[in-house]
Amino acid sequence: MHRGKGMKFVGDSRVPANRKPNIPKDYSEFPGKTEAFWPNFLLKEWLVGAVFLIGFLSLTVAHEPPLEKIADPTDAGYIPLPDWYFLFLYQLLKYDFASGPYNVIGAFVIPGIAFGALLLAPFIDRGPARRPGKRPLATGFMLLGVAATIFLTWESVAYHDWETQRSQGEIVAEVEVNTEAEGYAIYEQQGCINCHGENLEGGAGPALADTGLSAEEIAEIAVNGQGDMPAGLFEGSDEELQQLAEYLTDPAAE
Amino acid sequence: MLNKIYDWVDERLDITPMWRDIADHEVPEHVNPAHHFSAFVYCFGGLTFFVTVIQILSGMFLTMYYVPDIENAWRSVYYLQNEVAFGVIVRGMHHWGASLVIVMMFLHTLRVFFTGSYKKPRELNWVVGVLIFFVMLGLGFTGYLLPWDMKALFATKVGIEIAAATPLIGEQIRTLLAGDPNILGAQTLTRFFAIHVFFLPGALLGLMAAHFIMIRKQGISGPL
Amino acid sequence: MSNQRVSRRQFLNYTLTGVGGFMAAGMLMPMVRFAIDPVLTAEAGGDYISTGTSIDELSDVPTRVDFSYEQKDAWYTSEVTQTAWVYLDENQEVVALNPTCKHLGCTVNWEGRESDPNRFFCPCHNGLYEKSGKNVPGTPPTAPLDMFETRVSDDGILQLGQVVPNTIA
Repeated sequence: MHRGKGMKFVGDSRVPANRKPNIPKDYSEFPGKTEAFWPNFLLKEWLVGAVFLIGFLSLTVAHEPPLEKIADPTDAGYIPLPDWYFLFLYQLLKYDFASGPYNVIGAFVIPGIAFGALLLAPFIDRGPARRPGKRPLATGFMLLGVAATIFLTWESVAYHDWETQRSQGEIVAEVEVNTEAEGYAIYEQQGCINCHGENLEGGAGPALADTGLSAEEIAEIAVNGQGDMPAGLFEGSDEELQQLAEYLTDPAAE
Repeated sequence: MLNKIYDWVDERLDITPMWRDIADHEVPEHVNPAHHFSAFVYCFGGLTFFVTVIQILSGMFLTMYYVPDIENAWRSVYYLQNEVAFGVIVRGMHHWGASLVIVMMFLHTLRVFFTGSYKKPRELNWVVGVLIFFVMLGLGFTGYLLPWDMKALFATKVGIEIAAATPLIGEQIRTLLAGDPNILGAQTLTRFFAIHVFFLPGALLGLMAAHFIMIRKQGISGPL
Repeated sequence: MSNQRVSRRQFLNYTLTGVGGFMAAGMLMPMVRFAIDPVLTAEAGGDYISTGTSIDELSDVPTRVDFSYEQKDAWYTSEVTQTAWVYLDENQEVVALNPTCKHLGCTVNWEGRESDPNRFFCPCHNGLYEKSGKNVPGTPPTAPLDMFETRVSDDGILQLGQVVPNTIA
């Protein structure tokens, strides 16, 4: 760069008056098969990017982003699950040595050590060797960490009840429920409301708004249970049972 | 014509050196997949950056419809996904892109680790990179709540409980994150929105700038 | 440096621009279409809204008719109330004027200023309109007041439709 005496500027600015030629550097004299970043290498990088983008757009077209029903803080039966990349941490907290009184270990000590070691890796692994085989400790711990993360994620995915979550999170059309009806009073009084929700929208149990079952079938289930629902939950009279069952065939009716 | 405009600007601002400085640097043989196919592992960093750009753009567009409010957040997401043309695609890009960023960053981290590229003199760049990783996880965590659907709410509840297990200052952290000591609701959503849209992206841009400047300064680590 | 090298670099630059353009387009096309969707969505055909006012109540003096309807604004549905100034012209045809001033969108009133009888007056910048909705020259508005499409139901109730440009002024 030219400095000092004899420099000319544009006007009263500090922009040099003599233009530099806009010509790329020549790398042909460099050792090896060195290549210019612009445009030679960038073109290859962007070609990879373009292929990647096509794949990515195909993914977005093929798979709709999931959206569950609007959050309902009162729905205590919902089984929560974080996004997949937090599953390892979530799963860790299920083990005895990392939960209950040892929660701090699962939530802080173990992840803290792992992420702290990751952050400070260059200061822990200080030797000059770069090949993975020449630094067995660093390589070993990293492989262990990756394996543990994959294992925990796998365990969590295998353990989770995806079917239930899907049905619990499903967007249900809002239904008109006649809460003034006799049947609703029985629904409330017999405790059905605890599992099937205030608006029959379901919760721990399935939604009852539009089951398509007949009154007899509903009465049968109310008394004898079905699936996870035990028998004998209904403790009212036969007349009340009849009223409840009829109400549930058409909850919107006045 | 374009050349004339360029010369006009260049005469006033001397932009040639700046732009030549970006364009002119050598790319060594060992990271070039054209010479060694195995060098494709060096692509993960660039792809992470690419997905990040997609995330920033799609996020900007999503906020045209989204409202961070517990009454309307879910409704607006439902609307933009089902009623607006290409809503599925744009939300899909942001949703799947979030996962892809994590995947690409994970692979990039492994590449840097196993090639020992974090060794002297590149320690600081590794530290900045891991900080970027944390910021990305923070973006994933805060973004998960924003659609305000069932899994968003309950996953965040669990996440905040984990944070509340911090020794000594757990309660304060919970209140700071949720905006209220007991309720996870309206204030949590606006907080998470602010963190997701302003604070963390700001931090991310700063860290990425540092990351790239350091790479240019130090060059790519040599062959093994 | 030989000529051949320069042309090779130019070729690479063009290809680079092409690939870059493809990527930018692939990313931005869905997003831009998403953003401009409201512009491209065809306006919903106007339904006529019943005002609850019988045409027997109308005279040749503009009367204020308030009517409300359910407005769907994306995810937000609300009840909005609108106003029209309605009168019968010489042929006993119903005329319903939109009270939104053509100057800057304030609301005009019939005989809103005592010094201007038989005119619509806009309090914001003293805009004036004739009974037909025609803007009085020399006042800020530059166009006549818009009208509502009108219809009378079988039982004589006034119904209002879309806002259309004034056709009688």
